[in-house]
Amino acid sequence: MTAGTALAGHGSRKDGAAGCGNLLDIENLAVRFELPSETVRAVSGVSLSVAPSETFALVGESGSGKSVSMLSVMGLLPSPPAVVSGSIRLEGREVLGMPGRLLRRFRGRDVAMVFQEPMSSLNPVHRVGRQIGESLRIHRGVTRSEARRQAVRLLDRVGIPSAATRVDDYPHEFSGGMRQRAMIAMALACDPKLLIADEPTTALDVTVQAQIVDLVRELQAEYRLAVVWITHDLGVVAEIADRVAVMYAGRILETGQASDLYRATRHPYTSGLLRSIPRLDRSVTTRLAEIPGAPVRVVSELAACPFDDRCPLAGEGCQDALPELEAVGSEGHRSACIHHHQMGPASSLWPEGTEAGHQDADQQPGDVVVSIRDLQVHFPIIRGMRESRKRAIRAVDGVSLDVVRGKTLGIVGESGCGKTTLGRAMVALVRPTGGTIEINGEPINHRSGRHRKVVQMIFQDPFSAMNPGMRVSDVIAEPLRIHRLADADAIRDRVTELLVQVGLPPDAGTRYPHEFSGGQRQRIAVARALAADPEVVVCDEPVSSLDVSVQAQVINLLADLQARTGMSMVFIAHDLAVVRHVSHDVGVMYLGEIVEKAPRDQLYEDPLHPYTKALLEAVPVPEPDYDTTQRTRLVGDVPSPADPPSGCRFHTRCPVAVEGLCSLVKPALEEVTPGRWVSCHLVNPPAAPSGVSPGPKGSRG
Amino acid sequence: MTRRIDLRRVAQYGVVVVVAVTLNFLLPRLMPGNPLALIAGVDVGMLAPEQRAEIVARVGLDAPMWVQYLRYWGDIFTGDFGFSFRSSRPIVDMILERLPWTLLITGLSLVVSAVVGVLLGALSAWRRGTKGDLSMLSGMISIESLPSFWLGMVLVSLFAVQWGLLPSFGAVTPASDLEGWAHVWDIISHAILPVTALSIVGTPGVYMTMRYSMLETLGEDYIRTARAKGAGERRVLFGHVARNTIAPVITVLAIRLGFAFGGTVIIETVFSYPGLGRLVFEAVAGRDYPVMQAAFLVFTAAILVANLAADLLYPLIDPRSRTS
Repeated sequence: MTAGTALAGHGSRKDGAAGCGNLLDIENLAVRFELPSETVRAVSGVSLSVAPSETFALVGESGSGKSVSMLSVMGLLPSPPAVVSGSIRLEGREVLGMPGRLLRRFRGRDVAMVFQEPMSSLNPVHRVGRQIGESLRIHRGVTRSEARRQAVRLLDRVGIPSAATRVDDYPHEFSGGMRQRAMIAMALACDPKLLIADEPTTALDVTVQAQIVDLVRELQAEYRLAVVWITHDLGVVAEIADRVAVMYAGRILETGQASDLYRATRHPYTSGLLRSIPRLDRSVTTRLAEIPGAPVRVVSELAACPFDDRCPLAGEGCQDALPELEAVGSEGHRSACIHHHQMGPASSLWPEGTEAGHQDADQQPGDVVVSIRDLQVHFPIIRGMRESRKRAIRAVDGVSLDVVRGKTLGIVGESGCGKTTLGRAMVALVRPTGGTIEINGEPINHRSGRHRKVVQMIFQDPFSAMNPGMRVSDVIAEPLRIHRLADADAIRDRVTELLVQVGLPPDAGTRYPHEFSGGQRQRIAVARALAADPEVVVCDEPVSSLDVSVQAQVINLLADLQARTGMSMVFIAHDLAVVRHVSHDVGVMYLGEIVEKAPRDQLYEDPLHPYTKALLEAVPVPEPDYDTTQRTRLVGDVPSPADPPSGCRFHTRCPVAVEGLCSLVKPALEEVTPGRWVSCHLVNPPAAPSGVSPGPKGSRG
Repeated sequence: MTRRIDLRRVAQYGVVVVVAVTLNFLLPRLMPGNPLALIAGVDVGMLAPEQRAEIVARVGLDAPMWVQYLRYWGDIFTGDFGFSFRSSRPIVDMILERLPWTLLITGLSLVVSAVVGVLLGALSAWRRGTKGDLSMLSGMISIESLPSFWLGMVLVSLFAVQWGLLPSFGAVTPASDLEGWAHVWDIISHAILPVTALSIVGTPGVYMTMRYSMLETLGEDYIRTARAKGAGERRVLFGHVARNTIAPVITVLAIRLGFAFGGTVIIETVFSYPGLGRLVFEAVAGRDYPVMQAAFLVFTAAILVANLAADLLYPLIDPRSRTS
């Protein structure tokens, strides 16, 4: 039942020299999935070791084999179809090929694992406390009540408030961040020596991610825990990792100390990843450097460098043999690139594109395309068969914004802040309960949807946002047909033109969406959005489901298209660095309200609202040893939009809230300098000193 | 997190009951022609006017519609469904006479197909992709495609006609005055064949639901979490898989229980078994409208009650569906 039934060939290495003092030693690990249609080689030739209480980061894009390697350490790969070979030693004991009965003693006791999706990783029908205590019941045979007592202690330790009562909650009663804390508590239950964290913060907001990263670092020191952190996020890696391995196509391409990897990069892929992410600590470039193509899927034994076809250094010898890791520079730093000595500065290796992106010089104020005034979208809370008039989810609650022609308005905020609802209201996919949206001076018509010729939307998940039964050409042509913009011949020409514009081959139209990768599908979505030649495109998290190397391609594509067509964009995202890169103006949303809006550079260089500050400080900087001590961390989660806090909605989490003021008086969104609006008492002190008196508005009923 | 009965849910079902009863009341009155023919079963054209008026008054068709409607409700609450055209007996007696037999065979077969279907489905899912799983799956699909009347006839011809092991029709041996255990055995021997036929026909559905639900559960992330904790196979199966798997299966079983009250027209007819299904068959054949109407009302009520039970049961299994 367990993986590792095929301990092939490498048994002789078992008694090799490596491994003294190391907690985990992996040698020549290979994992292949023997599927009916093909054999996928998910991992090949991976060797790495982890020392006690060290943090080792395994970095890579989807399908790079990073999770599969670590699941094979746990023996958690389903076999069949997985076939694992090589050697995995935990404190010198070979675990590969170990019978399941023995292997289970390691799992949860010596090695624990935290997964990406905290909701689906918790059993929905059992109470949180019971699930935390379970490993204690399994490994230590403690009584039910003792397990529960320990669960309370652990929940308290990972920072769950009033743990003694929350221990009896079910997972769905926890917020996302609390669930991941509970997962960590579960992992720590038996004092493991090694914690494997598989993308533990990817599903979380940046503010919660920062809390979790802090927590793991703290616990690591306290429990003398070794951590293997699997991630695609180079920012998080820089914050936590001692050593890093970068994986691609199932192989390690570069490994070494974090500082060496970031500052003396010796593999073009690592350098490309570092260059292609927008960063808050650098000035905004006109365009992002992009890695062409998409990550590969390995089905036959590799005989050449897998990165060859995407690599700017590719040349003589790259196709001849599979490059092995060899020592470069300082101790422990190894790269699998035969041209690594030719690596110059990253900027020359991965130049920014040439096409004109933003025209930043052009500062003259354009006319307003979309004008939103005091917009409200309240969703009634349905109880039984009738909706309650009194209580409602206030998803958007009094938002006023302008979208300027040819510019991009960025919207940021944590999940649950109403960003998506705001975007959907602009496209008339939800009906506002108050306020107005005008496009070119005319109120939008909710009945016909006619104005969608003018406003189009790009959604987050290109997999589910496209009808899988339609050919790509029909997907793209649909807006043209709906709005009767062209006859059949003209539509065919236009579809071809659009495909070329978004960087797809002209014959892509004859195929179906499932034949394309995520990045390509998002290009199709862009083509569809542009088909009717809209004036405004609302992009709702358009790159957050894409791989790092593909994100830059789509961001650049959008910028190029904007420069070419002069369209306006509304760019909704939780990633502040991405929003900074694409936007001209940025609005920060919290609980249905805009708390700050300003031109991009003003907002990022000098954030005024405490929420904006906290969001920016939570973003990890991809630079090891970056000073993180000065940060203020936001505590807790976004309150329910059905019952927003009184006064300033942010006061419950605000580090600088003034007692007796912020919880009682609602701050107005006021213009502090031209074009810059903030709603905070500390930025705009209330006009009258008597404003502190608790009015009926301030009290909640 | 309350476990009390969800009254709103119950109220929703109440609305459905009212609609069903109202439709049942209106149907004969809205049909073309004289409702008298449908309600009193009288060939209206053949009657003298005074006879006619007498019948109209007797069945209450002379009262205003709303009075008739209220009376109809009153009749339902007092268990008065009127009289059968053909036997002139009170319909409620006929239904009460047939119901136990139907419940006996459909209830027993439901238990058999639930137990067999759940066990085999679980086994199949646990051994997913193996030869055993695939042969069981194809076997179940074949059984599912068997017509139930054919299966019933095969059973009768083999066990009753060919080998003479079991009786071929009825619920008890006619005109026999058996007492005590002999009587019990008589009932059992008559029930074996119909129960077998119903069980065979009913098992594949339960099996498929169970197998699918368990495969779904086995692929969930929290099963991986349980294994990562070091849980053994038994703990994974009973501690984590079982409860998550069983919820959809229970819903399916509860709905089947509702249909069980309706009996099975085909099997009861094949075995001449005196259940509700056969009563409906006879009523349809003899155009006995009042009996049909009353039977439909019973079916509707049974299905609604079973659905309600499933709805109320679900939150006990899955805490996510509990209302706060």
